Parts: sequence; C-alpha cells; structure tokens
Amino acid sequence: MMRGRIEIRHLVAAAALIALGGCASQAVEFHRLPPETPAADNAADIAKMQKLAAAAALAQKQKAQAASGAEGAAAAEPPPPPVTAADAPPMKTYDPWGRLNRFTYRFNARFDEALFLPVANSYRELPSPLRAGVHNFFGNVAEIDSFINYTLQGRLGRTVRSLGRFVINSTIGIGGLFDPATKLRLPKAPTGFGTTLAKWGMHPGPYLVIPFYGPSTLREGIGLAADYGTLYVIDPAWIYRGDQSWGLGVLNAVDQRANIDFRYYSSGSPFEYETIRFLYVRKELIEDAGLHRQKPLPKADPNVPAGE
Amino acid sequence: MNSFLSVLALAALGLSQAHSQAIPAPAAPGPATGLADSAALRATVFGTPPQDIAPLPAKVPLLEMDLDLPWRLPIPEVFWFDKRLRVWLSAQDKPAPLAIVISGTGSDGNTAKLSTLRAVLYGAGYHVLTMPSPTFPGFIVAASSTGVAGDLEQDGHDLYAAMGQIIAHLPRKVKITEIDVLGYSLGGANAAIVKSIDSKEHKLNIHRAVMINPPVSLFSSVGRLDKLFARSLGNGDAGIERFYQQLYAELANLYRASDRVQLDEDFLLGAAASALKTDAQFSAAIALTFRIALSNVFFAGDLYSGAGVVVDPRHPPKVGDSLEKIAQTLRTKTFAEYFTRVFAPYYLKRRPNSTVESLIADNRLDVIGDQLRENGDYYVQTNSDDLILDEAELTWLKATFGRRIVVYDHGGHLGNLGDRQQVADMLDMLAGRWQGGAR
Repeated sequence: MMRGRIEIRHLVAAAALIALGGCASQAVEFHRLPPETPAADNAADIAKMQKLAAAAALAQKQKAQAASGAEGAAAAEPPPPPVTAADAPPMKTYDPWGRLNRFTYRFNARFDEALFLPVANSYRELPSPLRAGVHNFFGNVAEIDSFINYTLQGRLGRTVRSLGRFVINSTIGIGGLFDPATKLRLPKAPTGFGTTLAKWGMHPGPYLVIPFYGPSTLREGIGLAADYGTLYVIDPAWIYRGDQSWGLGVLNAVDQRANIDFRYYSSGSPFEYETIRFLYVRKELIEDAGLHRQKPLPKADPNVPAGE
Repeated sequence: MNSFLSVLALAALGLSQAHSQAIPAPAAPGPATGLADSAALRATVFGTPPQDIAPLPAKVPLLEMDLDLPWRLPIPEVFWFDKRLRVWLSAQDKPAPLAIVISGTGSDGNTAKLSTLRAVLYGAGYHVLTMPSPTFPGFIVAASSTGVAGDLEQDGHDLYAAMGQIIAHLPRKVKITEIDVLGYSLGGANAAIVKSIDSKEHKLNIHRAVMINPPVSLFSSVGRLDKLFARSLGNGDAGIERFYQQLYAELANLYRASDRVQLDEDFLLGAAASALKTDAQFSAAIALTFRIALSNVFFAGDLYSGAGVVVDPRHPPKVGDSLEKIAQTLRTKTFAEYFTRVFAPYYLKRRPNSTVESLIADNRLDVIGDQLRENGDYYVQTNSDDLILDEAELTWLKATFGRRIVVYDHGGHLGNLGDRQQVADMLDMLAGRWQGGAR
C-alpha cells in the first residue's frame, strides 16, 4: 500500500519533470488558437470597425445638426455640468503598494500563460450555444447582486430592470440559461458593491493587483469581496456552498476569462504595468464621474496622484 | 483604433532637457506632415472604412508559434516575458505559396492591420506567416543579435535568420511551393532588405516582395515624426499632459451624457470617432503612437548597449522596481536623440570606417537601389498623401520602381490598407499578374 503510494507520487513527479524539462528544451512551441479567439475572428474585427464607422457618421450628423441649429428632443434632465481639461486627474497614479502589485502582476501573467488562458482557449472549442448557456447562467445569478446594489445606490429604476431581467430569464429563460430579457430591450447592466461605495462617495484608493484576478483598486477589491460574500450567504441554486461549488466556481472563472480579450505582455513592453494601471484608474474615475452626473467634479490637484 | 487606444495609453511624463549632442541629429526636410493633408491624417488614424474593405473569409485557422532562437542575447530581467519570438501561422491544407508579412514600427505580429492582410492572403490561397517588426520589443529581446534596433541591414539579417528558423520548424504538413515577403510601413523596407539578403544567400529563395507604404529614408521619416510631435504636442511633458487632459475631459463628458453603467469597449469605439477633432489633435495622436513605440526601442537599446541615457548600466532595473520615472523620461525623447545617443555610438564603434553620414545613408532604400530598379520582383504600393514621405522621396520611388509601383490618391499612411483596390493590386503583384497601374 505504502509502496504503491510512493510509486505514484514518484511517477507524478517524474511526469512533471519530463513535462517541464520538455518545455524548456523545445526550440519551438505551438498553440492552436480556437476560431473565436479575437486574433482569429475577422468577423468580430470587422464588426468593431463598423461600429467605429457608424459612430463617426453619427458624430458627423450631430455636428451638422448642431450647426444648423436643429436641436434634438429636449432632454428630460438638465445637461450635466461639463468636465473641463482642468478637472482631469494628474497622469501620476496613486500606487503605494507598487512593489507588491508588480510581483502580483507578474504572478498573474505567468498563471494566465501557463494555465488560465490555455484552459479558457480549450473551453472556447466547445459549441457556442453551450458556452452562451453557461455565460447566461452565471450572469443571471449575478443579477441578484446587481438588484441589491442598485437598491443600495438608490437607483430604483435600475433595480426594477435588474429584477425584471432576473424574473424573465429565470422563467422564460429556463433557469437563466437563455437571455430573452435582452431581446425584450432589457440589456444586461451589472453593478456591484464597488460601484455602491463609489456612489456613496468613496474614492478608488490605492491601485491594487489582485492575485488571479487582475487590476483593481482598494475600493473595487472590497466591492468584489462583498459581492462574493453576498452571493455566498444567499447561495442561489446551492452553487456557492454545495459540494459542487468548487467546480462551478472554476467554470465561472473560465467563462469570464474566455470572454476577456486580453493577453498579458502582448505589448512586449516593460512598461505594460504602468500602462494598464494608468488606463484602469482613469476608466474607474470616468465611471465615477458618470455616477455623480449632476455634480461638478472635484477640482483636480496636480500634486495628488489619481485615485488617492 | 489602435492608435487611439495608444493615445489613451500615454502613461506618464518626465522633465528632461535635450542633452548636449556631439553627434548631429539627422534632419528631415519638408513639412512635419510630409505629404499628408487633413483627410490623410484622419485616414491614418481611422483606417479603411468597413464598407471599403475587401471581402474576407470569416474564419482563418491560426497557429501561434513561440521560438527559442539560438543567437538570442542574455535576457535582461525586466524583459523576462519576451524570451521567445512569437509569430502566427495560417496554413492551407494543401501545397501553397507562403506569404510572410512583416509588421510596422514597434508592432507585434498580430495587429488589426495584419489580421486584414492575413485574411485576404489566406482567402487567396496563401499560407500566411505574420511577424513582428524588428523594432517590437518582443523581437528585440528574442531575435535581435544586437539589442539596438532600427538599422535596416542588421534588422534585415536578424529577420532573415528568424525566418529560416521558423520555416525549419513549421509543422510537417505545411507544404510550401514558393515564398514571398510583404510588409507595411517600416516592415515594407524590412521586406525589401530581406529579399535582397536572400538574393545573395539563397537560403529561402524568396520570389517577390511587396512594400506597402514604405519609408524611403528611415531617418527622414522619423525626423518628420519628431517634427510632427513638436508641432502638435510641443517639447516633452506639458504638451502630452494637456492633450491627455483634453481627451480625459472629452471622454468624461461623453460618458456622462450617455446612459451607460460601464465604460466598455463599445463606448470607446463610439467615443473614438468624436474625441479627436482638429488636425492638431489627429497629428498629436499619430505622433504619440510613434513616440510610445520609440519608448520601447529606446529603452531596450539603452539597456543592451549600456549607453546609460535612461538606464544605469551598473544597476539595471529588476522585476518589482518601478519603471515610472524611466517611462516619464522616455516620453520626452525624440527619434533624433535615439539616433545620437544610442544608435550611432553603438554602430560607429562596431563598423570600422562608418560615419554619422554613412549610417544615415545606409538606412535609405537606395542602398539596394540597383536591385529595386532592375529586379522585376519588387513592388510598391503607396499614397500620394503619405505623411512619412516628401515630394522628392515619392519621385524617387516612382523613378525607381517604374511600372511596379502604384500610387493611390488618398489614404495617408496605411489608411487604405485592406480596401478593395489595394488588396486586388497587392494580390496581382504577389502573383506576378500586375500589369502596371493606369491610375
């Protein structure tokens, strides 16, 4: 018995060594990309370009309309006070945990390249209706969290929409496997506790790279933990606490990864960490500005890095 | 679109003044925008409108190849992720010609432009191999034998050697009937040099080369980009910061006016079309895109050659060290400064009898002018409003290539890549059917 166990362990170790050694000594490595990876998906590229062109045409039209004095339909609410260039946060980003973050970023990149992305790419080989079902199912579960958080944010119209989506998709959509709500003009608009904190006036805080997850900020990190906690407590369809929760959790993560068009270090650049940090925090700050639509932005202080 | 995102990616700034320069910087004649007008600047940023794109197969099989190249230099710690050269292959399942496509300045082998070229070439029956530019950091680290990128001849040899390795390692079922090379922008010049090297070494027996919007003189073209930068953004920091603030405000306003709960790709695609308005802003976007590419080339060259301009050669940065200060400083560095402080000192030392003037002259297409004139297998596609060319350079191209060049009226720099006419002509050139442009 004992002997058998050792042998198996040794076999596994030997197999791992051979696998690793094999990788290291190979001059060339091949990765087949499934047809729906962004790189191979010309149809998606073209769709993107069409959107861009359509937007350009629309912008032209609006400009022409404005020039001819023909105003569009009067808006229900007064237009938000304009954001001026002086309101833009400085280019420097608040990152007091930079050293740790950089190591986490590298860890995430390695994990992604070695395991997460290959698994997500294999997953992409499955028939697309199946993957859509998985995606819709987890999206529908997350609707519960959106419903709660829209309520906490005091955006009751959105709360009703979230509830409507959940009810429609759970029933007509057969337990959330389909998304008929989107066809009924109730598109998905997920939110979470991070956004609730933002609505309540909390600043993003320090930039934070979360292991396995990626770029975030302290506020969004707290939000994520709270979102997970909420769903864990509610435990819809027993997916968070049952015996199968590990498997489902992994499936959820793989589904999310398969839907994100990002490749670590495809920039090839040593400044990728800085670039992603810059973009991520600006994105979050612009979203915050959208949450407080009617308020002028706080005056930017050139000496206070963005996010602090 | 790529350039728009890069504009958003202007990641930091620095305050550094131009240093005393013992080596004179190459001067660029003519206006900062070369031959480009207002429409050309817009075409350069937005690319070919979707309704003008040639028909493409919806799906193209794609294989990613990561190669360890034996001549690779020791890898600096901060470049740990660039150990292997990554290229992309789309193979036919029957014997077919292989088209090797080389990317433009600072770009990898899988850009949106390469996606389009890959699709049309694959649709026309080619195996397609797309490669990064020798100025892409992933290439510099994994495939350069110097680490100091931007020299046409040296980069050509590294590219040629890499192609040899790639072809030797292709899956066995890929049957190649002949090899052609293409490239856009700087990649166009690289493609021509690679073919000329092959005509001496005969390792690959490259048949035809098609150059799309190539530069004629590397240092005139980049000098023009320096000028464009200085004119649209000023010198260094303050201008970039102003531009960033304008864009930030523009995006924030568009976002507030929209009814979105997330700033996602759809929003950015919509915003991209209206965020840039004036010629100066379009110029700034283009100049900044090139500046970001230059940052990587400059950093790698400085690190590998030990020039010590932005990196202390005795204490190179390690994983975990902040690169923010360096990125900031680099954002103010021009192509001219790369030439005088990194490139020229490195190559002057290694090439006996070379001078600053000879280095500049060696980086003009006319180093292989005789071949380009006499060998009927070199082709050019360019635009009469390309910002990296001036009148004299365009005239030189026309005189050199004769009926093997086509010059389109509009498109700026690469702004018509993938449109029906460009694609049809490119395929005719590659297949040897080209009868000369009646345009």
